[in-house]
Amino acid sequence: MSAEKAADWQLYICRACGLIYDEAEGDPDSGLAAGTRFADIPEDWECPLCGVTKADFEHFDRPQIALDANTSQLTSFTDAYRGRAVGSAAFCGNGLEDGLVIVGAGTAGWSVAEAVRRHDETVPILLLSSCPANVYHKPELSIAMSRQLDEVSLVRESGQQAAQRLGVTLLSNTSVVGLNPASKQIRTTRGSFQYGKLVLAVGSKPAVPSHLPHSSVWRVNNLEHWSALKNQLSSSASTQKSIAVIGAGMVGCEIAEDLLRAGHHVSMINKDKTPVYPLLPEAAGQRLVTALKSLGLNYFGGQEIAEIIVEDSNQQKLVFVSGETLEVNHIIAATGLATDKRLSRLANVEFKGGYVVDPVTLQTSQPDIYALGDCISINGSACRFIEPIRRQAETIAAQLTEKVAVPYVHSAPVIKLKTRSCKVVIDGEPDKATHWTTVKETEKELLMEQVKGGKVSATLMLLYPNNSDYTSGLA
Amino acid sequence: MLPASPRDGLFDNHESIYHSVRTVASDQLAPLANKIDQEGFYPVDVMQSLGSAGAFAAHLDRYGAHFDLAIKNMQSISRYCGSTGFMSWCQDVCGLYMEQSGNSALLSRLDSQAFAHRLGGTGLSNPMKSLTGIETMALHAKPVANGYVVSGTLPWISNIGRDQYFGAIAAVKNQDGSHSHEIFFLMDIDDSVELNKCPQFSGMEGTSTWGVTVQDYFVGDHNVIADPAMPFIKRVRPAFVLLQIGFGLGVIEGAIASCNEVESSLGHVNQFLHNRPNQLQAEFEELHERVMALSSDPYNGDKDYLIDVLDARAQTSELSLKASESALLHQGARGYIMNSDVQRRIREAHFVAIVTPAIKHLRWEMAKLMREELPS
Repeated sequence: MSAEKAADWQLYICRACGLIYDEAEGDPDSGLAAGTRFADIPEDWECPLCGVTKADFEHFDRPQIALDANTSQLTSFTDAYRGRAVGSAAFCGNGLEDGLVIVGAGTAGWSVAEAVRRHDETVPILLLSSCPANVYHKPELSIAMSRQLDEVSLVRESGQQAAQRLGVTLLSNTSVVGLNPASKQIRTTRGSFQYGKLVLAVGSKPAVPSHLPHSSVWRVNNLEHWSALKNQLSSSASTQKSIAVIGAGMVGCEIAEDLLRAGHHVSMINKDKTPVYPLLPEAAGQRLVTALKSLGLNYFGGQEIAEIIVEDSNQQKLVFVSGETLEVNHIIAATGLATDKRLSRLANVEFKGGYVVDPVTLQTSQPDIYALGDCISINGSACRFIEPIRRQAETIAAQLTEKVAVPYVHSAPVIKLKTRSCKVVIDGEPDKATHWTTVKETEKELLMEQVKGGKVSATLMLLYPNNSDYTSGLA
Repeated sequence: MLPASPRDGLFDNHESIYHSVRTVASDQLAPLANKIDQEGFYPVDVMQSLGSAGAFAAHLDRYGAHFDLAIKNMQSISRYCGSTGFMSWCQDVCGLYMEQSGNSALLSRLDSQAFAHRLGGTGLSNPMKSLTGIETMALHAKPVANGYVVSGTLPWISNIGRDQYFGAIAAVKNQDGSHSHEIFFLMDIDDSVELNKCPQFSGMEGTSTWGVTVQDYFVGDHNVIADPAMPFIKRVRPAFVLLQIGFGLGVIEGAIASCNEVESSLGHVNQFLHNRPNQLQAEFEELHERVMALSSDPYNGDKDYLIDVLDARAQTSELSLKASESALLHQGARGYIMNSDVQRRIREAHFVAIVTPAIKHLRWEMAKLMREELPS
């Protein structure tokens, strides 16, 4: 293939999960060779990450940001000890003259940096990240063990490379410890900085109950933690481990299936009778359990853990409230997520399950502080899905650079479980309090819906794939 | 007259104690500041006057645990002389160790410490760094009948002298050479303790700072502050760091005053400087308010609280550097005269930034506290 042609490869982004299909790389796992044009992909091809079909992909513009050689990077931000950030040479007069500080280098943080750079090539951007800030696609973590992926293959671009491409000053492995919105000062473990505008993209952290000590349970919420777990699982001679997954939400189910497919013995402990409850009604949850059991899952529904007894670094005993016990090598907590309140307290930003933002502007209760992604709460609830993040980033970037207004329109994303043994898709606005009505029920398929005010407000589709050799376990 | 024993109500009137301390600092201490800083004059008499005025007792449980007042007193002292501000912190924390020990022998000596009849120091720089993994312990203890014998050398301990004392920590060595735990004790500087002269410092020469060497120094029950030491250290660590902020706040306050001092004569050119006094004052007030809020709960054991204290301490160092440099720029040539206040304050601010916990130690520790623990 000629270099000319190679430069022409297009990118397409999955609107549901944000996965990018690169024509140059194809999708060899599902039989699409490198160099397969998007147009040539069969219509029933599914997103390798979340399973939506080709129709849910849209063209994605390859970031083309050519930086002016004069764009100052490291000199743009001086720490507060030296005084005011001297910022960009051109006074932009929009409050950005002291520069933009972004906290967090996950999808949300990098998306804002990219979106701002599309509008403005010179505004100084400082990106603060408590991790190495490498660019990766977080939803892939819950399916990466069975695909034999490792940290190197998951990282799409190093933090340093991305920072260079975008003309961003990156401080990785740096934690924010203090924040004063009145003087617009942010204090970190590598010094203090002035900001003109601040964007919080700090994500959320696993909410692990106190009886599951951090020293005993793994959490799979970022690449570093995932890699540490992966190393642990492949450290000893026996590569087959017994693992307990505590919690049976979406992430818990995806990780359990991933570990089963990677050849491990997996037990799942769920305080509710059926998984992903109450988002999934019991009838649907039962089918999901059946599918996971067919892969070898040892399922404990309606059970809670009282304590963990550490026997040695490779052996722990789970004691259930019922008195039963279970010996495992490793424990993973998938007990939900929570946004850290510390920053909101310091910044005096209103907090309600996340940083409260204006649903159209994404501005917090502090005028110069914006927030997006997993850390925010809109209309009283957090929205921890990948799909809205790029749109949120665009809204913030447009406002910060005072280009054309791009109001954010919040809509419920399509929810899709990445469990290959059982396809689950929820569309619309599911409501815990509303009854699910069965529309269709066969051995392989279950369709349900919620109706509000005479209209279908949410639909649920649960499908066993064609090649499965088991039937529903409905009682 | 000085109270000879604990007395209720002594610290009810904060305003009056604050003003008494401030007056001693501005009238008696200020004229001596350069002599203390450069000539090594150890202001024992002034320390005792400050003690009589109540400067070193407010934070003690015995007198109501008013950490806010203790910090404000230290700030007043430091405003006029950073060296004495630093010694006030030494005096305060030494009293805090004695009281929190609960050891009746040390409690019987507490009032003479609290009101500065005796002056005492703290040798915790090395153990604090050892606790967080920065360096290894300098003193070693060997168990003997009825106590321990301690050997080793600590490099720089301030506010001490012959017949004074300081809080020290030693690692207890087993026979096989391993460490079992640490002990925290009050070292009385008797004839067996060797005091070594320190090299000349850039400033802060009158803080009576010595190297200390001991060989088989006996520690009996009457001198034990905590055995084992580490749970005690962990408990008093936020209070230890929080109190020290008062020393830095005084340096900042003095620096801002020096900027304002020349505003009428040099304001027309100083307006072109950054870090103007009103900007420094705004940051100072915000920091001060936060420190006062933190001082209502100095033994709070939460990680979040400790990070808040360490952050405030780090900001105090950063602002001391920024404000003292700005004061020099504002004063211009007159600030470059060797014995000017602003020149001295630059040396004081450097000390605020490098004394344990130094900016780098604070950031190291905060980074450690912010990291999420994973299974090993």
